[in-house]
Amino acid sequence: MLVIFLVFAVVSIHPKLFGNEGVTIRSVAQNSSASLAGIQNPSPTSTPLAKEKIISFNGEKVSTIEDFYQLTSNLKENRSLMLETSNGFYTLKTQRDGSGEINLGLKVYQAPTSNLRKGLDLEGGTRVLLKPAEPISEDNLEITIANLKERLNVYGLSDVIVRAASDLAGEDFILIEIAGVTEDEVRELLSQQGKFEAKIGNETVFFGGKKDITYVCRSADCSGIDPRRGCSKTSDGGYACSFFFGITLSEEAAERQAELTDKLTVLSEEGGSYLSDDIALYLDDKEVDRLRIGADLKGRATMSIQISGAGAGLTQADGVTDALKNMKRLQTIIITGSLPVKLDVVKMDTISPSLGKEFLNNILFVGLLVILSVITVVLIRYRKVKVVVPMISIIISEIVLILGFASLVGWNLDLAAIAGIIIVAGTGVDHLIIITDETLKGEVISDWKKRIKNAMFIVMGAYLTTCAGMLPLWFAGAGLLKGFAFTTIVGISFGVLVARPAYAAMIEQLLKE
Amino acid sequence: MKKAIQDIYEHKYKLLLLIPFIILVLALLQIGIQTAVTGDFVNKGITLKGGSTITINQIDIVDVEELRLFLQNKFSKADINVRTISSAGQVVSIAIDSDAQENSEINALTKAIADKYQLNKGDYSIEVMGSALGESFFKQTFMALIIAFLLMGIVVLIYFRTIIPSLAVILAALSDIIVTLSIFNLTGIKLSTAGIAAFLMLIGYSVDTDILLSTRLLKRKEGTVMERVYGAMKTGLTMSTTTLVAIGVALIFVESEVVKQIMIILFIGLLVDLIMTWIQNVGILRLYLEKKKK
Repeated sequence: MLVIFLVFAVVSIHPKLFGNEGVTIRSVAQNSSASLAGIQNPSPTSTPLAKEKIISFNGEKVSTIEDFYQLTSNLKENRSLMLETSNGFYTLKTQRDGSGEINLGLKVYQAPTSNLRKGLDLEGGTRVLLKPAEPISEDNLEITIANLKERLNVYGLSDVIVRAASDLAGEDFILIEIAGVTEDEVRELLSQQGKFEAKIGNETVFFGGKKDITYVCRSADCSGIDPRRGCSKTSDGGYACSFFFGITLSEEAAERQAELTDKLTVLSEEGGSYLSDDIALYLDDKEVDRLRIGADLKGRATMSIQISGAGAGLTQADGVTDALKNMKRLQTIIITGSLPVKLDVVKMDTISPSLGKEFLNNILFVGLLVILSVITVVLIRYRKVKVVVPMISIIISEIVLILGFASLVGWNLDLAAIAGIIIVAGTGVDHLIIITDETLKGEVISDWKKRIKNAMFIVMGAYLTTCAGMLPLWFAGAGLLKGFAFTTIVGISFGVLVARPAYAAMIEQLLKE
Repeated sequence: MKKAIQDIYEHKYKLLLLIPFIILVLALLQIGIQTAVTGDFVNKGITLKGGSTITINQIDIVDVEELRLFLQNKFSKADINVRTISSAGQVVSIAIDSDAQENSEINALTKAIADKYQLNKGDYSIEVMGSALGESFFKQTFMALIIAFLLMGIVVLIYFRTIIPSLAVILAALSDIIVTLSIFNLTGIKLSTAGIAAFLMLIGYSVDTDILLSTRLLKRKEGTVMERVYGAMKTGLTMSTTTLVAIGVALIFVESEVVKQIMIILFIGLLVDLIMTWIQNVGILRLYLEKKKK
């Protein structure tokens, strides 16, 4: 059983010791040379190793980020270039971008060597400096920060730091650091104030946010690409796709809607009767959608409403991706509500990890020394190689199991996760020592089953108690604690349920003879 | 000598029981004084209370690693981190994050950097940052911890079906965290978010030894109570020694300040745990067993 789990873990981490040359595409700017040539934005759900990699540029091999930026730094306008990626060959035509610079529209990073995603602490990320469009009070600044944090979390980004900052002149800023995200996505998500409003005529029916909207559907049965409208070809040769999702209004908002619809008159048209005015949806004072109201809803307090919208792209697949991206953003904004103030993006750049470049190498080196020191102590205590070898191999497999699980569910390895791994390995050694002692002193009890049962009783007790301690931290704790509690629970569960029983079985086999 | 210690340990356990409680009271006192003097129960570092960022735009003359070492040596009490900021794959500036919030602290820091690299006023900019965690973080953490201890108590209660031993386990874990926190305060190191994780890790380690002890003492029948205590102690000390040696090795060789802090906290915590398990918890359990006999 342990062996099966181990194989799974290694497959999902998929470590690549060789052949990790080249750079991986992080993002493709819209309407840039690269996107016109057919290179697609990597899907956020694809695993790190599955993302498209650039192999050569105009016949010259690209093996580091420096290579790539050097090769693409002095481009002339309207030239054709050959780009070889892991998916095939592309011909790019250089053109000036919005700011007048010649740019392919590609953002790249060094190709990853395994499917483990590294967090902000380990790999760095995008740093955004935001400035409130108008001066705001300290309270509002705090509300804004909390809202931004929630907005990023609802959007699916958890490895995020949001903090207030000010320069010496006393101007307020908000500084955000985010791991593993493209700049375009962040810009769209953060620079919108997110004032979502539904109006009938000039009267507001409801706003975005928890007060008026109690539930926003994000599961497949009531959100996604609209099956009735789907995708269609547009006049300029691209595709436009529609999305929809359901929301539930609070009673108060539903009453308000009933009051307003009651004043409207019924119009009979082809295909059914509708009310004389539509519900118009506004985002930051711009109309985004208009919904007809069926005549039967006149004066009725309905709580479920369907919101729709659209996205566009060069191919149908692009259109679907864009529509779903817009849907996710709109859902995020409706859930988290409006910011007290509009924010301008002042600066956006890439920041290096706080733990430094040498961190991982140093950690691996220290890890090795720690394992050696554990071997020494255990060897001195038991003087039996038969005990030490299985013990160490179990500890190492537990760590592999955690990493395998991490890459499988695609969670970011950060400091909290590392702390979790340390505690799992630490209590792992503890438990193996307990099992060993319980089985070795067995002269009194001759039955092996009994001995192992005794040992597992202690291990299970410690496991259940630790889990009980970690659960509240997982559910109630703030960001960092969540990560730590999650890693610890997952890690010790693998340890106690898979690896440590395997150790007991191994030691039984080895010592029985 | 060995016999004398053994004698005290076996017969004067009620008196010995005072030691952990005196330590606990002293620790609470220390934390109380710390709170009264500084307004915070622990020295918070940059990730917990915020600080400032100095951004240098003259990058060709600055070596990041060298600057990091220089600042860490010069301001050893401060919490300083150096990072690079790049745009389109090229490093454009260097950010120095520190916990300096007062003008005098920031000025000392900027002066040291400016003198070292002969920078002019226009070559760098300074921003003051708030905490990354927000005010509600500690409140949330405390609430979560209280629930955590309650749940742990319930689990141990169900497991052993007696109240006193489960209270003893919780008390041991709680005292371990409190005493470690107070010793950590005395070292003057500034706590980072990673440090908080380390304190939580102590729960795991503390629970391990306590459950081991409780099981051996309450569920096993072979030998006398003292023989069972020594049996558990043999296993428990092996566990603690292994971990302490591993942490000691890590402390010597690890370069990252953050991981070093985790290791320091664990090291202190495990030493405290020895007292809490083998004096406090043993004492309480023996008192409980004696009462039960009568």
